[in-house]
Amino acid sequence: MKKVLFLAIKDLKVLLSNKGNIFWVFGFPALFALLFGAIYSDAGKEPSGIKIAIVDEDKSEFSNSYISKLESEEALKISRAGRDEAIEQVRKGQIAAAVVLKKGFGDGFEAMFNSDEPKLEIAADPSRKMEGGYLQGLLAKAQFEALGDKFSDRKGLRSQIDLWRNDVKDSNDLDSKQATLYSNFFDSFDTLVKDVNDKNFNKGFKGNMLNFTKLDVSKEYNGPITPFQITFPQALLWGILGCTATFAISIVKERTHGTFERLRVGPIGLAHILGGKGLACFITCCLIICALYICAKTIFKMPLGSLLLFVLAILCTLLCFVGLMMFICTLGRTEQSVGGAGWALIMIMAMFGGGMVPLAFMPSWLLPFSHVSPVKWGILALEGAIWRNFSLTEMMTPCLILLAIGTAAFLLGVFSLRRQEQ
Amino acid sequence: MIKADNLKKRYGKTVALDGVSFEVQKGETFGLLGPNGAGKTTTIRLLCGLLKPDSGTVTLDGKTNPTLVEVRLSLGMVPQTLAIYEELSAEQNLYFFGRIYGLSGQRLKESVSNCLEIAGLTQRSKERVSKYSGGMKRRLNMVCSLLHEPPLLLLDEPTVGVDPQSRNSIFDTIEAMKKQGRTILYTTHYMEEAERICDRVAILDYGKILDMDSVSNLIDKHGGFSHMEAEFEKSPSDLDKIRQLIGSSNIQFEETKVKFETPRPMESLALLNRNGIHLKSLKIQSANLEDVFLNLTGRRLRD
Repeated sequence: MKKVLFLAIKDLKVLLSNKGNIFWVFGFPALFALLFGAIYSDAGKEPSGIKIAIVDEDKSEFSNSYISKLESEEALKISRAGRDEAIEQVRKGQIAAAVVLKKGFGDGFEAMFNSDEPKLEIAADPSRKMEGGYLQGLLAKAQFEALGDKFSDRKGLRSQIDLWRNDVKDSNDLDSKQATLYSNFFDSFDTLVKDVNDKNFNKGFKGNMLNFTKLDVSKEYNGPITPFQITFPQALLWGILGCTATFAISIVKERTHGTFERLRVGPIGLAHILGGKGLACFITCCLIICALYICAKTIFKMPLGSLLLFVLAILCTLLCFVGLMMFICTLGRTEQSVGGAGWALIMIMAMFGGGMVPLAFMPSWLLPFSHVSPVKWGILALEGAIWRNFSLTEMMTPCLILLAIGTAAFLLGVFSLRRQEQ
Repeated sequence: MIKADNLKKRYGKTVALDGVSFEVQKGETFGLLGPNGAGKTTTIRLLCGLLKPDSGTVTLDGKTNPTLVEVRLSLGMVPQTLAIYEELSAEQNLYFFGRIYGLSGQRLKESVSNCLEIAGLTQRSKERVSKYSGGMKRRLNMVCSLLHEPPLLLLDEPTVGVDPQSRNSIFDTIEAMKKQGRTILYTTHYMEEAERICDRVAILDYGKILDMDSVSNLIDKHGGFSHMEAEFEKSPSDLDKIRQLIGSSNIQFEETKVKFETPRPMESLALLNRNGIHLKSLKIQSANLEDVFLNLTGRRLRD
């Protein structure tokens, strides 16, 4: 064990002897964390600032009211434009969508719900599907609110009921029995709207048609969730990934420079050498994590769900990536090949595991692939300890998967290394 | 002390060693002389257990497993590549390798100090190795293997790419080790080095030992005749008589000069002198290991 420690200390000395190394191992993950923090600084909030253009071809009182509802949405930034101009802006990627309120948009309920000839058109940027989907939700919400406004106006509602009654009278499709049923219903409805007192009318016909309360699924603690808390696991993972690549390359460097051979001739086994390398990688990762954690605590005031589970998540994640380091170092015989192949593998793991793009943005057919990425399980374990309020049992799934991946990669790496030696 | 018995090793379709056998006695300096790709490094790697032979056995100090800790502790290997950490200082390198060999405390300190002195690096011991010259790195590369004072040294072309001064320093160190009674196996493709250092030399080519003996015996057996170039005081009148006295078929006359090959140069000279043929100048080029290699393989060592 003493010799493993000597080997690890030597590796740390070699690592710290180079200012470039210090930056890439310690500075880069910190910068990455800050960058992620900035990118996802709105995490936990609703999206804001979706730019859309409204084309009001109806120019009715209802369309005006509808546009006002949309303008009151914080998530939208609305401009008014002509049809061609608005569509051109979408094509150029200047706005997410153009919404066209066609002539007749405000002509009562039929206009709003007529599926044969819709009075509302949306031209959305196909590359911004998430924003497009969110926009459709907001448009529907505004429609329901506008509808709610109509219901809250007795005069307007009664004239709408008159229109429905006339439709029933003029209809050739209904037999007399059915027509009588509808007429009786609309008469009663009209009487209700006319005679009900203000208190009951307001209770029954006014108010938000779509109303809900958001439930907070994050850990209960005193204080708000900081954006850094959400992005902290990703930042940690990037620090660990960088460190993994650095040490994998250092093993190859030892092999190409002959120091590995000198050590192999010494009175120590391959296990000592790899153990030393693993320990150095582990210690370096711990230092990175400590540095990032101190930074998160002092600068970003980041709260931590459970320190014990956090330590467990860190331990399992580190063991997994130390194992992966052993595998990565056997991907080539030169520093260049291992550097290239190692980073390619890391990028793929990060990409599929939610280290680059959140898993929610990933196409559904790609999602099953994320299960094999240790980045996913690392982030999940860290999130579980930081804000997902995981119990020890819940933590077991990501932790055991991380340990299994790490062990498999370590064994595969040692096997390949022994094979390459011969 | 070292015994290689019928070692065979292949890398895919390439035969690196094809039945190499030799024995090195305690205190002997044994050379493996051969061109690049002859199998010298593979032999060293097999001897220290870095590679497993396809067949054959290696015995070091009576033990057939070179990976045993007690065997490793008695072994010092100087690899051909610079196996030192350039990011660290010479002192840090030596302390690290010393600790790996189980040295500590005063013994480690003294050992490091001795090695720095042997390598001539005491003054610059705290400087980063990356700032050293090629020769300094080579010297450090060698002394890193001497820290634990191993009785058995395997040196794989330790003078590749060094300046004459550093080469001499390395030779001095090896000769000092030799005087201390260490057993040394030295690989090289420089015949001058083998002639200077080795008690016995094995000529290795394409993974086979062509012959193995002391340098003088090898030259006697395979070196061929010495080349002589003599200048007479006056132009000789009877060339046939000279031809008869020298007894060489390959003889060329050029006014007052004569060039010939002979297995016994001193006897030939004495014979000429006794017959009143006096020389003004004489140049003798004795056969060397280069000639031995040429005669054994039909190629030069550096071809």
